[in-house]
Formats: sequence, structure tokens, C-alpha cells
Amino acid sequence: MLNFIAKRLLSGVITIWFIATATFFAMHAVPGDPLTQEKAMTPAVRAQLEARYGLDKPLFDQYRLFLGNMLKGDFGISFTQENRRVNDIIREHFPISAILGVAAVLIALVGGITAGSVAAYCRNRWPDRMVMIAVIAAISVPGFVIAGLAQLVIVAMNNAAGKTLLPVAGWGSVSQIWVPALVLGLGTMAYLSRIMRASMLEVLSADFNIAAKAKGVHGWRLFFHHQLRNAVLPVVTELGPTIAAITTGGFVVELIFAIPGLGRYFVQAVQQLDYTVIMGTTVFYGAFLVLVVVLVDISYGLIDPRIRLHRGRS
Amino acid sequence: MAISVFRFAPKTWGDADEVEAVAPLPLPSMASPTVILSALMVLFLLLFVTVGPLLWKQSPSQQWLSQISDGASSAYSVRIVSDNGAWRPSAKNDLPRGLTVHAANTEYVRLHWPKLAGVERYRIYRGDANKPGLGLAMADTGDNYYQDRLQLSREVYRYTIADAETGLLLFAREVRPEPAMSAFEAQLQGLIPLGGNEEWVDIPAHPLGTDALGRDILARLMAGGRTSLFVGVVAPLLYISFGCIFGAIAGLMGGWVDQLAMRFVDFVVALPFLLFMILFRVAFGIGPGENGIMPLIVAMLMLSWPGSARLIRGQVLALRSQPFVEASRIAGVGTSKIILRHMLPNVLPMILVAFSFAIPQAIFTEAFLSFIGMGVSPPTTSWGALCNDGIKTLLSHPRQLLLPALLISMSVLAFNILGDALRDATDRRSGVVRA
Amino acid sequence: MSLLNLESLQVSIGSVQAVRDVSLSLQPGECRALVGESGCGKSVTAMSLLGLMPNAAETAAQHWQFAGRDMAHLTERDWRKLRGNQIAMIFQNPMTALDPTQTIGAQIAEPLRIHKGLSRRDAKKRAIALLERLAIANPAQRAEQYPFEFSGGMLQRAMIAMAVVCEPELLIADEPTTALDVTVQAEVLCLLQEMRESSGTAMLFITHDLGVVAEIADSVSVMYAGQTVESGSLTQVFTTEAHPYTQALKRAVPSLENPRPLEAIAGTPPDLRKPPTGCGFAARCSQRMAVCEQAPPPMSVGDSHIARCWLWHEDHPRRWRDKDGFTNASVIGRSRR
Ligand SMILES: Nc1ncnc2c1ncn2[C@@H]1O[C@H](COP(=O)(O)OP(=O)(O)O)[C@@H](O)[C@H]1O
Ligand code: SF4
Ligand SMILES: [Mg+2]
Repeated sequence: MLNFIAKRLLSGVITIWFIATATFFAMHAVPGDPLTQEKAMTPAVRAQLEARYGLDKPLFDQYRLFLGNMLKGDFGISFTQENRRVNDIIREHFPISAILGVAAVLIALVGGITAGSVAAYCRNRWPDRMVMIAVIAAISVPGFVIAGLAQLVIVAMNNAAGKTLLPVAGWGSVSQIWVPALVLGLGTMAYLSRIMRASMLEVLSADFNIAAKAKGVHGWRLFFHHQLRNAVLPVVTELGPTIAAITTGGFVVELIFAIPGLGRYFVQAVQQLDYTVIMGTTVFYGAFLVLVVVLVDISYGLIDPRIRLHRGRS
Repeated sequence: MAISVFRFAPKTWGDADEVEAVAPLPLPSMASPTVILSALMVLFLLLFVTVGPLLWKQSPSQQWLSQISDGASSAYSVRIVSDNGAWRPSAKNDLPRGLTVHAANTEYVRLHWPKLAGVERYRIYRGDANKPGLGLAMADTGDNYYQDRLQLSREVYRYTIADAETGLLLFAREVRPEPAMSAFEAQLQGLIPLGGNEEWVDIPAHPLGTDALGRDILARLMAGGRTSLFVGVVAPLLYISFGCIFGAIAGLMGGWVDQLAMRFVDFVVALPFLLFMILFRVAFGIGPGENGIMPLIVAMLMLSWPGSARLIRGQVLALRSQPFVEASRIAGVGTSKIILRHMLPNVLPMILVAFSFAIPQAIFTEAFLSFIGMGVSPPTTSWGALCNDGIKTLLSHPRQLLLPALLISMSVLAFNILGDALRDATDRRSGVVRA
Repeated sequence: MSLLNLESLQVSIGSVQAVRDVSLSLQPGECRALVGESGCGKSVTAMSLLGLMPNAAETAAQHWQFAGRDMAHLTERDWRKLRGNQIAMIFQNPMTALDPTQTIGAQIAEPLRIHKGLSRRDAKKRAIALLERLAIANPAQRAEQYPFEFSGGMLQRAMIAMAVVCEPELLIADEPTTALDVTVQAEVLCLLQEMRESSGTAMLFITHDLGVVAEIADSVSVMYAGQTVESGSLTQVFTTEAHPYTQALKRAVPSLENPRPLEAIAGTPPDLRKPPTGCGFAARCSQRMAVCEQAPPPMSVGDSHIARCWLWHEDHPRRWRDKDGFTNASVIGRSRR
């Protein structure tokens, strides 16, 4: 098992290096030098930047400098907000995105597993139909539209009630977390419930399920010990892509709900061509997602004994 | 129970298999109502963006400044009025008998009433004719005329003249201003040539209303759809083709080439997709006058090809070890012929399925990027960019977000259903599409 | 008093009449083999005996008694207490019938925890002891392993352990050796026989392998197209087979003592979505008669030997001799050869 974890971590580190390299060269492919563009920038900042990034040096030296700084965990200073370091921006805004993301993942997981199980149990009856229609709707509507619709609904509700039942946007209170989190998790929830339904249907007709019933196992014990544990495996494998989807989906949800998370900051940086922030945030997000995938892989091994033991030994 | 003996006589019923044949279970077919509906939906969308602009000839970038964020409206004519500032009635019609309207259009309403003895100052009210009450107090004046130029629209107003001191109501009249536009504005919008002196100009209908800049939403939906569907179809076409070639080469070459190629694929797969879409999109930049579609497609091409490369490579490897391919090889059939004869028919259905699932994915990606302003650049538009425009006026005019969103959802849904049906119809083992 | 008495069981799943008329009886400690081609409804019969048919299935029986209880009106609650406790089942494919995410030990201990209310530790101990009795080396260590770490034969032994751990009165084994290597088959059969004899459990042994039947069964029921077509003691059914289907079945099995050309049974079983109105075997029967257009009721061949075939009707010319004092079923059976 340790061997397996070490292997996955190593490949994760290599992937992060690849992401950093791809980011570096992508940013250097920007037409013209990012520093010579007609951005309002004080000469002091420019000098500082040139020194930091060694823009006068050959490309390879710049690359080494970039990697070195990155290893030290230093992503430089923002182009547009001269006195802010990218590290500080990440440190300040990422926790907000993380809270929102974790809430969304939890909602998506719990909702998706529940809805998928219910649909499978009631196959071809009305709860199944309703879940599947909701799933199709949620999958074919873009996240930003769901966010917009949610705001419309909240406004309509508030108007009808004549007072503020739920805040339309902003950050701080609990309802300002769970509403955007629900919106953010909705598409993923739909996707997961589809997977869960299929795998639960498979489990329900599997021999071991019938064998367990033949032993007299029933009710919640049957559900948790035998059905859920097997049916949830495909959902766990989807957790990596799920978190990636929720992270990037967070960009627009944070934008629309005016949540001061890193995602919104990233989108603003992109729109303002704030190269250092783009670079730093991309590498940070990339590393984060790779780490998530590695962790999911490892946790999958913990749940599925076949993988845990096989990979561990090999 | 006694049975007569002859009933026990041996009996032959002809063939032993004379049992009634039972109809075989129906194969899943592609012609289910949902599939037909989605095919029609796709057809409708394609016609909407191709034939649509031919029938609906409005320019998607024409701004109707008089109709900003309007609802649905039908066509009407507008009087061009000269914009000559202050007005006073000419001397000869100095004595109207009651409250007289000299002109009533959406640029100005000119009122004239007789002077009454004992009233020094008049107060003019304007209200909605359908509502009780005087409405807004427009002005206090010592004159017996008034020109109203305050944000007039084409509804029925009721003007009331009252004594400013006593509040005594003197005259009242309902007025419906006719549509009008100042010559200056008309020239600004290019409706009349500079220095032209047309009296009337036709304003076309806006069946779906106008957006926050007064542009016709229907025309914009058509123009935007063209971009969205173009990206949605062309980008997958390109990256799947590239992926197929890459995967086929890797699979056919085998050995270290294959190993190296697949390591590379692993790394590209590990790149977070949307993040790098944004990054590449920034890196490619958009020069002046470019519409940003090419960078989008190239970025998608660079990031999306590994899926089909893996698929094809796996298939090629699986097929290479199949006895019939070995047999053809031993029989001296050339590689290209083997590919054409055996591999293509086997992998083509899979590619088709992958393609039909890639289209909604690409449409989504384009919408996402355009929504955060990293997609196409104005004046070119797309459904995602329209959503971006629409979200700004969401709370006051939700239509501007919902209409493009509806089209995105429709196309994604339709292509997904078609992909599902295609996948179900494709027999994985034989690689045959059942119609 | 018999342990199980089932008369005229009928099960239809949707449009499929999977079981049309099955009668079975079992004495305590008896081992009855249920033989038939695949698809004839053996597994459906077994699942019905456990009350485990899907909701879409409709089950009916004229008479259905188990251990003195009327089973036709059992509530789901009563069924649960029965399953794994008084009636247990061994499944055909141990590779898929064990939960891949639970340890073998936990799965064997589960019935004890549910039915006997044993603590986790005690149940585990009993499970390990049972594994040891089933000749599994290192049982304590093995109990902590997962199904994928076991070989097929060992899995089937675990499956047997799971079934017998509560010492049920009736053990249903649905083709327990079909999925196993031939070398392991005999071993598993032996163990099964041993477990059964030591605890005095009655067994319904489902198989399509006549060779296995001879080894293990006391009595035999033959099924064809959802019906029991013949039943009797092992010797009755094997030496004086009465139904043309049983005869054909025997001719299709190689025999060492009596080498002869094998004969496959021509034709295919009827489609159970539209079962024939007359005798189910008529389409393939070489002794078919005019009367076979009507469904034959079960008819007595001899002492507790029953066949569902018009040949054994008391009005059939060949039975006339019986009435005159000839009691010789085998004469008729043999006369056809
Ligand atoms: N869950 C089910 N749904 C529909 N038909 C079924 C189901 N289970 C079994 N059948 C049908 O019932 C018949 C008997 O099946 P089964 O009892 O499994 O045969 P076997 O004797 O090989 O065990 C078959 O024709 C099969 O198609
Ligand atoms: S009833 Fe008739 S058809 Fe059926 S098995 Fe007997 S002889 Fe053959
Ligand atoms: Mg069976």
C-alpha cells in the first residue's frame, strides 16, 4: 500500500512539473512580451518585474528562475495590483473557494448517491422518471445559467415574501454558502446520480446481492454493507473529474454570486491579462487538482480491496 | 376419467419443430420518439443558424437606441423630426379654444391652452391615462404653452393643466405620442443619409425584443448560434481526427514510439482542461479585427485529442492481435489495405459515437469561455457571449439570458440524446450500426 | 411428516411462465436432486422456495408447506427470519455470489449476527471454526481475506460455510459445482455431502449433471419446461425411468458400464412465453400420441414414482397388464430400446 501511495505521489509530482512547464511556455507564447504591452505600469514595478523574471536573460534561464521561484512557493507580484503578492492573493482567496467547493462536492455526493439509489430502487416508476428528467435537465444547462436562474428564483421568492429570505449574492453567512454551493454542485450531482443509478442497478441484479438476501440480510444493513459499498465504487472514481469540474465551475458561480474566492479573482486576472496572477493561479490550481486525483486514487484503493491489495503488492 | 383407446394411438405431427414460432425480442432501435425529436431539434437549430439569417435580414450588431432592452415589438414607422430645441406657438394660433396639442410624438409633445384671467402660473402634470391621479408634475410656467421632452414613449398620457397657486384643475387631455426620432439620432444610427430629409423611417419588428444595447435578439441568436455550432462541430472534428491519426500511428508502430506517445498522452490528459483552455486562449491572444474563433478551436484541439487517441490505439492493438488480421498479414496483404478493410469498419462506429458526444462538450466549453469573456471577441458573438451580455440585465430583463441559454441547452440535450442512441445502436463487438 | 411439501407451484415473470407446475416433497435429512436442461426453471423454483422472486413475478401454489408452516401467506418479515436460518442457498457461481468488498469471514459470520444475534467476535470465531472444518488451511488468516484472493474451489467452500453456518433445515444448492474445475468438483461435492450428513440437513440439489445425481441424491425430480415431469427415488428414476424425457436424457449421457452411441435430444424446449397447451415435451417426443395434445396430469408409475405422461394413464393399453397383476414399469421403459 505504501509503495502504491509513493508511486502515485511521484507521478503526481511529475504531472505538476509538466503543468508548470506548460504554463510557463504558454505564457511566453503570448504575442509580444507581456511586459512591453501597453499596460499602465510604473517604471518601478517594471524594473522589479524585469529583475524578478530575468526577462533580459535567455528563455531557458527564465524557465529555471521560474521553477526555482515556484519551488520556493513564490509566484511573484500582481501586474495590476502592484503591491500584492500572488501568494497573498491565493492565501487570502483560496480558502473561500475551498469552503464553497467542499460544500458543493458534499452536496453533489450526498445528493447524487441518494438520487441515484432511489432511482435504481424505483426503476421505471415515477421517482426514477423524475430523477432522470431532472438529471437530463441539469446536465444540459450550463452552470452559469443555473446560477442565473437561482438568483432569479431567490429574487422572486424575496419579492413574494416581502423580505429577504435568502441573500442574492455576497459571502459570509451560511445561506450565502449553501445556495451557491448547491448551484455549483447541481450539474455534478446530476452526473453522479446517473452513474450511481447505473451501478446500483447492476448491484441490485448482481448475484452477491441476491446471495446476501438469501442469507436473510435486509433493510439498511443490506443497503449499507452490500449494495452501497459496491455501487459507490464508480462514483469514487469519478471524484477526481468531479472536483475538477466543481473547481472550474466555481469560477462563474463566484463571479455571479459575487463571492470573493480565488476563482473569481482568476477570471478577473484573465480578463485584465494579469500575467503573474494567471501563471501563479494556474499552477496552483493545477497542482491542487493533481493532488486531488492522487488522493482519490488512494482512497479508492482503501474502499476497493482488490485495488488496495493488488497495487500495494506490485 | 376414461379415455378411448384410439387416443393412445401413436401420432406423428410432421416435423418435430412444428411448434409455433415466437417472434424474437425486438432489437433496440434508433427510431424512438425521443431520438426523432432530438434529430428534428438538431435540424431546426442548423436551419435556424443557416437559413435563419437569410429570412431574418436584420443586422445582429445594429443598435436601436430608441429600443433598449425592449420586449417583443412589431414593425412601425417613425417620423423624423428636426431637433430645434425650444418652442413657442406662432402668433396666429395664439388663442386656442381649449387645451390644444400642436404636436405629439415620442420626441416632444407640444401643448397650448388659452390664457385664463386670474391665473398667473400654470402647473403641468403628466400621468398614465390608464391610472387615476395626476401623475408627475412636469413644470410650473407663466406661459400658456409647454413642450414636454421627457422620455416619452408610445403609450397614452394624460396631461393636466392646473393653477399653480390654488391647485385648481383647468384643462385635461389624453395624448398618444406617435413614434418619432430626431434627425440627428437617425443619422447617427445610419437610418437616413447625412443631410437627408426623409420624413418617415421604418423600424423593423423585434419578435424577441432587443438587448441592453438595443440590438435585435433574434438576429443575435442566429449569429451567435452560427459561432457556437461551428465551434461545436469543427473543433471535435479536428481534434478527433488528430487523435485518431495519433493513436493509429502509435498503435501501428508499437514499441518505444507507442510507449513514448502514450506517456505524452498521459501528461496532456493530466492538464486541467478548462484551466488550460483559458491559459491557451490568453496565450494565443486576439489580434485587432480577429473574431477569436481560431484560437478557441486550436486550444481545444491541443487539449482534447488524447481521448480519441487512446480509444483508437486500444482498438488498433486489440485488432492487431485478432486472428483475421494476422491471417491477412500472413497472406501478404499490405498494411494500408488491412487498415482500410478491417480496422476502419471496426473503429468507425466508435469514432462516430465519440464525435456525437464531443459536440455538446465543445458547445459547453465555448459557452463557458465566452461567458467569462475568453471566447469570441465582439462584434462576433456566440450563445455563450450572449449569456454573458444577458447576465448583466438578468434581474430586470431575464429574457436576454434565458433565450441563448435555452438554445445552448436544446442543442446540448439533442446531441447528447443522439449520441446515446448511436452508442446503444452500435454493437461493440461487431462494430455494426443497426438502423 | 415431510419437511417440505410443495404442490403445483406456478411462477410467471412478466410474460414468461418460468415455472408452470412444479411439485416437490422432501423428508428431513433427504437429498433430492432436481434435474433438467438449463432454462427449464430450476433456479426460479429455488428462488421461489426462498421467497426471493422479483416484484414483477407472480407466485402461486396449490399447497406449500415447510416445517409445518403454510408458506403461501408468509409475510416478508417471516421470510427474512427463514432465509439463511432455516432455508439456505448455495449459488452456482461463487465468484459472483460473494460480496467483493467484504471479507470472507465477515460474510460467513453475517447470518449468525442476523439470526442468532451473536456478537461480532463470537460470530467470527464460529466462522473460522467452520472454515477449518471445510478443510481450509490457515482459517483465521483466510477469514480476513477478500473473495478475489480465493480460488474458485475455496470460494465455493466459503459459500457452503455461509449457507450451513446457521444449521438450516433445508439447504438448496443451485448447480454448486457447475462453475468449478472438474478436479475441484468432486472435492466440493464430498464436503457438501459431509456437512449435510453431519447436521442432518435436507438438501435440494439442483443440477443438470446426471452423474452427480447418482453420487449424492436419495430421490430425483426431473423438470422440463417449467414442470416436474417425473419424480421418484434414485433407483426408480434411474433404473426404471418412466417419462420419455428422462429416457432421452439418460441416452444423452455417456455410461461406462453400458457403452452405446449417445443420442442428443432433437429439437429445442418450448418458448416459455407461449407454453404449449398439451404435453410440454410433445414436440420432441418419439412416443407421442393423439392424446398428447392435452396436458397430461401427473400419473402414478409405482410406489411414490410419478410421471407426467399419458403413457402411464390407466387406460393406456400397456397398463392393462398392470391391472391384471403385472406390476412392471420397467417393461415399458425397456421395451422402447
Ligand atoms: N428475472 C427474470 N426475468 C425474466 N425471466 C426470467 C427471470 N429469471 C428467469 N427467467 C426465465 O425463466 C426461465 C427459467 O430460468 P431458470 O430458472 O434460471 O432456468 P435454469 O433451470 O437453467 O435454472 C428461463 O426461460 C428464463 O428466461
Ligand atoms: S405425454 Fe405424450 S408427448 Fe408427452 S411425454 Fe408422454 S408420450 Fe410424450
Ligand atoms: Mg439456473
